[in-house]
Amino acid sequence: MRWKSKTPCSQKSEEPIQPTSLSLFLRLFYRYRDLAPQLVPLDYSDNPAVTLPYELIGSMPELKDNPFRQRIAEVFSEHGDGNMTLDDFLDMFSVLSEMAPRDLKAYYAFKIYDFNNDDYICKSDLEKTVNKLTRNELTPEEVSLVCEKVIYEADVDNDGKLSLADFQRMIIRAPDFLSTFHIRI
Amino acid sequence: MVPVMSSRDIGGAMQPPAASPGPAAPAGAELLRWQWREVQAPCLVAAWILVASLAKIVFHLSRKVTSVVPESCLLILLGLGLGGIVLAVAKKAEYQLEPNMFFLFLLPPIVLDSGYFMPSRLFFDNIGAILTYAVVGTLWNSFATGTALWGLHRAGLMDPGVEAGLMDFLLFGSLISAVDPVAVLAVFEEVHVNETLFIIVFGESLLNDAVTVVLYKVFNSFVELGPAHIHATDYMKGVASFFLVSLGGTAVGLLFAFLLALITRFTKRVRIIEPLFVFLLAYVAYLAAEMVSLSAILAVTFCGICCKKYVEANISQKSRTTVKYTMKTLASSSETIIFMFLGISAVDTSKWTWDTALVLGTLFFILLFRAVGVVLQTFVLNRFRLIPLDRIDQVVMSYGGLRGAVAFALVILLDREKVKAKDYFVATTIVVVFFTVIVQGLTIKPLVTWLKVKRSDHHKPTLNEELHEHAFDHILAAVEDIVGHHGYHYWRDKWEQFDKKYLSQLLMRKSAYRLRDEIWDVYYKLNIRDAISFVDQGGHVLSAAKLALPSMPSRTSMSESSVTNLLRESGSGACLDLQVIDTVRSRRDKEDAAMHHVLRGSLYKPRRRYKASYSRHFISPDKQERQDKEIFRQNMKRRLETFKSTKHNVCSSKSKARLKEKGRKKYQTNPLHLPAAPVLVMVSSEEEESDSSETEKEDDEGIVFVARATDEVLQGKTTPGSLDVCPSPCIIPPSPTLAEKELPWKGDQADLAVYVSSETTKIVPVDMQKAWNQSISSLESIASPPGIESGPQHRRFACPVLEEQPQSASQVMPEQSSCFQFPSHISKSGRSQSDSSPDGPEQQELQPLMATEEQGRMAPTAEPRWLMFNRAGHL
Repeated sequence: MRWKSKTPCSQKSEEPIQPTSLSLFLRLFYRYRDLAPQLVPLDYSDNPAVTLPYELIGSMPELKDNPFRQRIAEVFSEHGDGNMTLDDFLDMFSVLSEMAPRDLKAYYAFKIYDFNNDDYICKSDLEKTVNKLTRNELTPEEVSLVCEKVIYEADVDNDGKLSLADFQRMIIRAPDFLSTFHIRI
Repeated sequence: MVPVMSSRDIGGAMQPPAASPGPAAPAGAELLRWQWREVQAPCLVAAWILVASLAKIVFHLSRKVTSVVPESCLLILLGLGLGGIVLAVAKKAEYQLEPNMFFLFLLPPIVLDSGYFMPSRLFFDNIGAILTYAVVGTLWNSFATGTALWGLHRAGLMDPGVEAGLMDFLLFGSLISAVDPVAVLAVFEEVHVNETLFIIVFGESLLNDAVTVVLYKVFNSFVELGPAHIHATDYMKGVASFFLVSLGGTAVGLLFAFLLALITRFTKRVRIIEPLFVFLLAYVAYLAAEMVSLSAILAVTFCGICCKKYVEANISQKSRTTVKYTMKTLASSSETIIFMFLGISAVDTSKWTWDTALVLGTLFFILLFRAVGVVLQTFVLNRFRLIPLDRIDQVVMSYGGLRGAVAFALVILLDREKVKAKDYFVATTIVVVFFTVIVQGLTIKPLVTWLKVKRSDHHKPTLNEELHEHAFDHILAAVEDIVGHHGYHYWRDKWEQFDKKYLSQLLMRKSAYRLRDEIWDVYYKLNIRDAISFVDQGGHVLSAAKLALPSMPSRTSMSESSVTNLLRESGSGACLDLQVIDTVRSRRDKEDAAMHHVLRGSLYKPRRRYKASYSRHFISPDKQERQDKEIFRQNMKRRLETFKSTKHNVCSSKSKARLKEKGRKKYQTNPLHLPAAPVLVMVSSEEEESDSSETEKEDDEGIVFVARATDEVLQGKTTPGSLDVCPSPCIIPPSPTLAEKELPWKGDQADLAVYVSSETTKIVPVDMQKAWNQSISSLESIASPPGIESGPQHRRFACPVLEEQPQSASQVMPEQSSCFQFPSHISKSGRSQSDSSPDGPEQQELQPLMATEEQGRMAPTAEPRWLMFNRAGHL
């Protein structure tokens, strides 16, 4: 699949929402509503503009140890601010479902790494990732070295940063790589 | 094994004529006595193992044969031949595969090996599929085969001699339908299908043991009770006992894994028996599970899987290697013996009775039902898999359902009184086992090639994959948290946190625990590989044989993690990375820039990949490579640190400072006994360090560490020494610092010299002693003519050592050294010029990177430079 536009927002609207089963949808909806019963109405017929602020998601006790909570909310929220509408919520789920195409998964994985939203994974992005993953246990030099190496490994066009093409190429090279990138419900 | 073997009387070809009674006992004292009876049992065991191993050698003499025919087939055929010989000579069948021997001695090593080296992540990623095939598949196979055979019997197709009811056939079905781990491993190992396929078939063969054991026991008791006496509660008991046996076996395994990890945490001072604990506890786990009739295979498998992480972190590198090799040796020899004895056992015609219908029916049904079962289960499983198992995978999985020695041992264990048709079952089992191992084993390789099954692509953790794998885990766990779904990732995330917070802290040593940063580990490994490939490319052949000098192994075994540890502790940015060299040097002269290019250009191109495959017989060659790499790494590191401290006079770490203190002390106490000084310093500092340090250094790192210590001692001494004592240009001790100051771009060579010298003191202590004596004599008698001090064969080693002596002497007694220096150098130069090989400038640049055994070349080329420094100074 080739991406006509690079922005996640326009992309998302084209994507059909994958969880087709009604029960699954309802489950997700109730979960969404459970997060903020006072904000989310039960009646969605007139498509109210309800968003879940990031503070609510980020303060979930299960997530307190997770290094990527803010980034996930940001990537999947429509305006990139971490506040999620129901659509965003469902989108996030459909991307990670087993039925979503691999390219879509790769695209969103790429977006998650691209902290500064410049459509490239550059060294600063990687440094952030590594720091999050290692919980700042590595020294700055070590992190920097690791990042250089990562870029070196995957950077085919030698521009010192990873484009989406680089990223996808790397993922194709390891066929089982994205097999873990899904949620089984 | 002893009672088994000794209970038989001996006879046959294998028996030496020695068994004939010794000379009639004389009345007096005997000079020698023939004691064959006493040694008979172990001797036979040893003889059989020897025969099997020799056979393996013979098989592998021909590459053609082994590439086509799996070893297991050859062994079975060999067994058939040997059995025939035994039968012909002794007129009765001997030496058969005894179920007791098989279950108590031969099976555990194989299972332990497979559990311990199981790629755990892959295993747990596919645990759903594996469990489905193992439980549902085996149940389906058993019942379908048993019932179908019973139907065949009822239809009157079988010989009337086969007296068996439904229960008998179900019993037979239960033992014949289980895929055998030994056979699967033996065949699949040579086929190299992709990892997912392999782990599914292999995992199934391991985990279905619980099902097999339970079904076998339940049906056995049913047969014994007789169909009339079976109540509904018995069925329920059967189901309950399945859960008890499987979960109980797993629990026993986990318990012993925990114990094992805990024990290895405290083996710091008894390194030598570390590997023993691994084997002992795993074996005890097996026996314990067997004792209470739980699934012993599950117990050992999970013991191996779970303990590995902690055990590997705790035990020393040497022990790790020992464990690995011993395990592979044991498993491999067990397997060899099993297959050979299978062949031998088959010739015993007294045991079995042939019935064509039963044999053909069984063969047909097990193939059919396995295929049907696999297709049905895969259909269901594929709904939950992101990457489905396609048709080809299913074919291989169905076809790879090999039966083996477990089925044979179980069928031998049947009671002839209760199971009337035992002889028929034995014959059928033997045929089935032979058919699956030989025919399927022979054809699966061409089949895999023909179907173009995805082969294993030597999967390697590049840094990217490692990074993204971690990131994905976190991301998915986060998403599962957000949607409130407690799925696989949720539990794995929780498990990892639990492991990190509690288990690892409890089961790992402090030093090991801190190092669990896999990203950094992978980075480190990759770098080592790069470094080695750089050396390879440089054309300097670093053969392992050359590197394996007697005093080297200690350095070889330095674990990579502890390097990281040392780095961390020192808190410095003294990084092992080659790029550091780049970054530091990039500020320097053009000469260095050129070298930088050489480095850069050759560093990263031929990157070799890490192979995370599982192989029982062939320990992957990258082990040796890794050791080579580690040696190289060490050299790089030492050089780097020497370089750093020389360059910036920075002593950032406490340990360094402390070591320097010690070194200084030593030097001050016996300045006049310098010849022995380096050795003394080495030993003492090592002991003090290892005793006093909080962090647990691995024993076998001792000398490595020491090597650094001497380095730093030298450095610490030379730097102030040269600064304080040498203000006048006429005193030129050939200290690297000074030389470097005068000729900044020659810093490399200075490093080299120090590095070489410390290296030499370690590697050739004898030569060093001679060199010291020699140098002392040159110090004492200034006018002594060069070239007569020592034999020519010592000179190469002597040269670098000579370097060291004036350098340290210069600090302690600078006046002396300043006047003694020249002659010795002259003598050296004369020598070195005579035997120096012509080296291009490029090689000279590369030299600092070359490992120690290059001394022969390195020393001569370094010498002229020294001479130049000295002459410059004296002029």
